[in-house]
Amino acid sequence: MTTTTATGSPLLATAPGRAGLRQGILSEWTKLRSVRSTWIALLVIVVAGIGLSALISNVEAGRWGTLGAADRAQFDPVRFSQAGEFISQFVVGVLGALIVTSEYANGAIRTTLATLPRRTTVLAAKAVVIGAVIFVVSEVTAFASFFVGQAVLTAHGGKTLPEGSTILTQVKSSFIPVATFSSTGAARAVFFCGIYLTLLALVAFGFGLILRHTAGAISLFVGVLLVIPLIVQILPSSISDSIEKFLPSNLGLAMIVVTTRKTDFAGVLLSPWAAAMTLALYTVVIVAVGGWLLARRDA
Amino acid sequence: MIEAVGLSKSYGKTKAVDDLSFEVRAGLVTGFLGPNGSGKSTTMRMILGLDHPDAGTVTLGGRRYHDLHWPLREVGALLEAKAVHPGRSARLHLWSLAQTNAIPKNRVDEVLDLVGLAAVAERRVGKFSLGMSQRLGIASALLGDPGVLLFDEPINGLDPEGILWVRNLLKSLAGEGRTIFVSSHLMSEMAQTATELVVIGRGTLIADTTVDDFISSNTVATTLVRSPDAGRLAGVLTSLGATVSVADDGALVVTGSTTERIGEAAHAAGIRLHELSPQQASLEEVFMDLTADAVDFHGTSGATVPR
Repeated sequence: MTTTTATGSPLLATAPGRAGLRQGILSEWTKLRSVRSTWIALLVIVVAGIGLSALISNVEAGRWGTLGAADRAQFDPVRFSQAGEFISQFVVGVLGALIVTSEYANGAIRTTLATLPRRTTVLAAKAVVIGAVIFVVSEVTAFASFFVGQAVLTAHGGKTLPEGSTILTQVKSSFIPVATFSSTGAARAVFFCGIYLTLLALVAFGFGLILRHTAGAISLFVGVLLVIPLIVQILPSSISDSIEKFLPSNLGLAMIVVTTRKTDFAGVLLSPWAAAMTLALYTVVIVAVGGWLLARRDA
Repeated sequence: MIEAVGLSKSYGKTKAVDDLSFEVRAGLVTGFLGPNGSGKSTTMRMILGLDHPDAGTVTLGGRRYHDLHWPLREVGALLEAKAVHPGRSARLHLWSLAQTNAIPKNRVDEVLDLVGLAAVAERRVGKFSLGMSQRLGIASALLGDPGVLLFDEPINGLDPEGILWVRNLLKSLAGEGRTIFVSSHLMSEMAQTATELVVIGRGTLIADTTVDDFISSNTVATTLVRSPDAGRLAGVLTSLGATVSVADDGALVVTGSTTERIGEAAHAAGIRLHELSPQQASLEEVFMDLTADAVDFHGTSGATVPR
């Protein structure tokens, strides 16, 4: 070994500083990009986002002529373009859980924690990397889907409603309404679609930290998104009405719909910002519990 | 140097490690010997700060693992060879480890060369044999060129050539002044690799000594004697103070005497001998005798060490 000193004292040990967040982030990024499943999952997010945007926008455009006033009032060209979110939420959940549970599955978590003994650093590095990757891919997908969706509606003869339009203008419109980026709530809804997926990935990451098991974490994640809403629906409406708006899936809906045109959602959903803040709070609590357990438990 | 003082660790009601103290010195290969389930891996994990001891401390050169600024550059460890994502290439696996401690990229190629995996560096680790995985694990331990190295059962799955390679590697690393702590459940392997020994059974210290002392102080010389007149010979030898037992095939196993004295006594009594041979207890037997009480899981067909 050419780099070894005669005493065996390590040459590299004298460097200033210490192994910290920067090193952790670089390492986690290398780990994430070096397995094929990451790229497949990210591709699914992009394809599902853009593909479902085109598909749903096409279907809705075809229905416009047959819609009554109530349905026309709910016609949401932004929401249609973000339909892929329904599939992507499960993909980001799997990615978020796997960044931690895959290491528990094969024992690599012990190597990770030995390379960076400060466990909060490991937690932060993993959260930053999975959060940043999901954020970038989800936002790019959300914006691309938006433009694809509006292009499909335009191809069916859709046009932007004139400035100062109300719900009534939309209901009475002779053509399919198309959103632009400056339409009320459009930019926010598209941006929040990416935020929603990023927060969900971190929720799944937190579940992974808590359960340390891939199947368990993903089951819990799917349960929270799909099963709990079903259970809440069975409850008497006096109870379910007050709970429903706080369910993660409905928080996501509140973040993505353009509520100014969604009169019948008023009162059922939180405002977009309140919904985003609530989901962010859930995320912080779940990741904090996971981090607390990571720091306390034996690896 | 590794120093453990009063280390204790329980999992539920099971005491994995109980008041364990030992020292591992630099420049030597120290074997960490014990039956499976005796607490070796738990101890290794506590050294690396992965498991929190219930009591006691373990330090590396006077510092706890948690306080090392660049842990990989000071301590290298091979815990489980297969603890790698199967879809990642060997090179990117090592690179991801190197990045955590700001180790330069060329060091990855150096250690790949060193362990003989340079040709398969781009191959997915899932396709590796257990022997190749062990080499990759050794490469990751050497990555930071550390002064302290821990190896948990490094020869598992290696072919004879690989075993010899590991043995020589450990000796040469120790020769460079590094601290080498290597666990095994095979006494014979330790005798050929290590000069110092820490022996544990059921989580407690059985011996902390050199390999040579361990063998000589725990080996009882016995002599195997065959005679057509074994019954009379047994009486003669017993009267001379030796302890005699009869083997399954009728041979006598004599302790507390020597071949010379047995031969003389037989001659004096006019007893013919067909065999008179000194027996050296094998290292494995010494180890099994010592740890027999400390083995948790006996096989059903006698006192065999599991696996």
